[in-house]
Amino acid sequence: MKVNPELIDEIKKYGAFDISACFNCGNCTAVCPLSKEDSSFPRKLIRAGHVGMEDKISSAIEPWHCYYCGECSATCPREAQPGEYMMALRRYLIAKYDITGLSKIFYKNGWLQTWLALGMLAAFYWLYSSYTGDFGALAGKIELAFPVYVTIALGGYVLNMYRYAIVKPLGGIKASLKPAHIYETLVHGFTQKNFNGCEETDWTRWIAHLLVMSGYVLTLLISNLHLLSPLDKHYGAFGPVSLLVWYAGLAILVGGGIMSLRRMFKSAESSKFSHPSDWLFVVTMFLIGASLLFTHYLNVAYGPQDPLLAKVYRLNIAIETVWILLIVPFTKWIHIFFRPLAVYFQHVKKEAEAGTAFTLNIGAAK
Amino acid sequence: MRELEKIEVDTLVVGSGIAGLQSALDLADQGFSVAIVEKAPSIGGKMISLSKVFPTLDCASCITTPRMASVSHHPRIKTLTYSTVDAIKREGKTFTASVTRKPRYIDEKECISCKRCEEVCPVYLPDEYEQGLGAKKTISIPFTNAIPQLPVMHPEHCIRCGACARACPKDCIEFLQEPAPVEIKAKAVILATGYETTPMTAKKQYGLGKLPNVISPMAAERLLAPHGPYGRVLRPSDGMVPGSIAYVQCAGSRDKSIGVPYCSRVCCMYAIKQAILLSGSLPIADITIYYMDIRAFGKGYEQFYNNARAMGINFVKAKVARITEDGKHNPILRIERQEGDSAPAELKHELVVLSQGLVPGYDVSRLRLDTENNEFGFVKLSDETVSSAVTTGAGVFAAGVVKGPRDIPDSVVDAGSAAMEAANYIRKL
Repeated sequence: MKVNPELIDEIKKYGAFDISACFNCGNCTAVCPLSKEDSSFPRKLIRAGHVGMEDKISSAIEPWHCYYCGECSATCPREAQPGEYMMALRRYLIAKYDITGLSKIFYKNGWLQTWLALGMLAAFYWLYSSYTGDFGALAGKIELAFPVYVTIALGGYVLNMYRYAIVKPLGGIKASLKPAHIYETLVHGFTQKNFNGCEETDWTRWIAHLLVMSGYVLTLLISNLHLLSPLDKHYGAFGPVSLLVWYAGLAILVGGGIMSLRRMFKSAESSKFSHPSDWLFVVTMFLIGASLLFTHYLNVAYGPQDPLLAKVYRLNIAIETVWILLIVPFTKWIHIFFRPLAVYFQHVKKEAEAGTAFTLNIGAAK
Repeated sequence: MRELEKIEVDTLVVGSGIAGLQSALDLADQGFSVAIVEKAPSIGGKMISLSKVFPTLDCASCITTPRMASVSHHPRIKTLTYSTVDAIKREGKTFTASVTRKPRYIDEKECISCKRCEEVCPVYLPDEYEQGLGAKKTISIPFTNAIPQLPVMHPEHCIRCGACARACPKDCIEFLQEPAPVEIKAKAVILATGYETTPMTAKKQYGLGKLPNVISPMAAERLLAPHGPYGRVLRPSDGMVPGSIAYVQCAGSRDKSIGVPYCSRVCCMYAIKQAILLSGSLPIADITIYYMDIRAFGKGYEQFYNNARAMGINFVKAKVARITEDGKHNPILRIERQEGDSAPAELKHELVVLSQGLVPGYDVSRLRLDTENNEFGFVKLSDETVSSAVTTGAGVFAAGVVKGPRDIPDSVVDAGSAAMEAANYIRKL
């Protein structure tokens, strides 16, 4: 096995500044309620990081099983912050899976992504404002382009994760076609039920996360299905679309607000360390909710011809554009796909060990 | 308050554990006069309650009792038990200590230690000397080999039945006794206030002292002592003879999350010692020690550890992260098994001992003797490389664990060194 002596320093660039204090006692793994017989973490991964086993780290799927309840960090005898190490590994892995290499640059350069986002926001707002044609129709086209872009970006990530987690370590294309495994993957994807596997359920965190996620998914639906044309139609306050918008906007504002406050006051282990990209993520999400709500409020109250509405709607679309182009593919957003996939890959690994995995033999694969 | 009693000596020794006793004897044997102040009703400190000592497996009371007796009979040593040092004032080259003798509610001069009061007293209390495993009377002599052999009454539990007063042949029960002030003038002070073990509640994950079969090492010492509470090893919840016993190492040391990041130096060895003694008294029991690394650094310690391994005591490298229990109060330990394919595991035992660490027994900076504490509350030495007993306060010396965790041999050695430094200091005055 190839050893990379610089590996731990590399990982530290993604967070986890205290991890060198670790004396390898295993308290973290033993105290972790999600650490299981067949996938134990964090100690093994900390050790692998320290001794430079790069292949072990880049093929690891355990970071995606961790929900950062913070129990390991709170009880660590060395205050080495193993929970934050797992977070850093997730960033490291996102950067690893990212074909463009942009995530890596953003993660390592603090506020670069934020400045870029601000610049892009200004540019798009200016661009949209100076568009003289029918902006409502243009917005429709922009919104319909979002899912195409996201799918391409995501496809790259998922394929690359598959390559690192399965193809490389197992030496071939392996899969599990058992319905139970696929079903479990979907259940985890939609419910995040491991969130409550943590010792003492952090209800505030779970509710905030659920609010943000549901609000966000709704916003995604509203925009990608182009349900809203605020410049062309006048919506009633309690129409079906309006109710969706009210919920989505408020859920994001409340959930995002709680998350930001927790990060600000560092009230839980999971919110003690904030990478600039975490702030960018939460704040942009917050802005999406706020601008969506405000747009819709102006439409409902003053009708589609309101001059302020024209401006706010452009701002709303500009924020969404920046979000889709810059934040979705290059921050932790994509973890919503990695977590359920990790559950699936865990099954594949087990099947492969037992020799029952579905295997595709291509000449090149060893 | 009773009348002020005045004592003038060369040296005041605070604390009468093995370090305090040793330095008092070393000074008195050189011709200096010494006063010892001890907060407990008997001298002897922690060591007198231990079963045996490592690595020789000598009987602890066989080493401590002769020293206790020498101190109490020494013509130049004045012993004040059940007394507290409230303040020490430095006046020029002398120290004046204000000490309070707590009331025992008996006439100490008249008592003949006949134990008649104890026999007739109808009220039982948990015995703290037996770590709560046994019971004692509300008026009782603290333990069999206590010095002085004087009973102490606990008025908060006394029901004022008067049985003891009627039974006492010397008529020395004094229900209305009050604290008595004592003033001690001394030329030097030796601090020997020792340690306390980290509390059972230190780590939330270890049951907060609420799991009946998770006990402290001091309680295990009493279970193992020949004159202990049960006379044999039984577990507290149901009196069963435990068939499987586990030691949790570093349960109160080397853990920043409980504020004790340092190594307490003695836990590895006392756990091994207790494990060896246990395999003597319970030959068929499984004994497991969960450790992070074994620190056997003294003379003969490594051999002692190897003997324990050879005797069949299991050593498992793992930090215990959590202790829970099943319906029968069997403790369950959650660890990460690190050998082979590492994985989390839960292991059930019938009795668990938390190897607690050592923390300062008393904050000596409260005495304002110009001494400094280190970040953990132990007394700092003025220069560790030059002397093992000189503190930053002139005329103030330190003996034993007050300076930081150490074992009995080390405490005895540097108690001697504290006595020597104090003697030098007094001669030069």
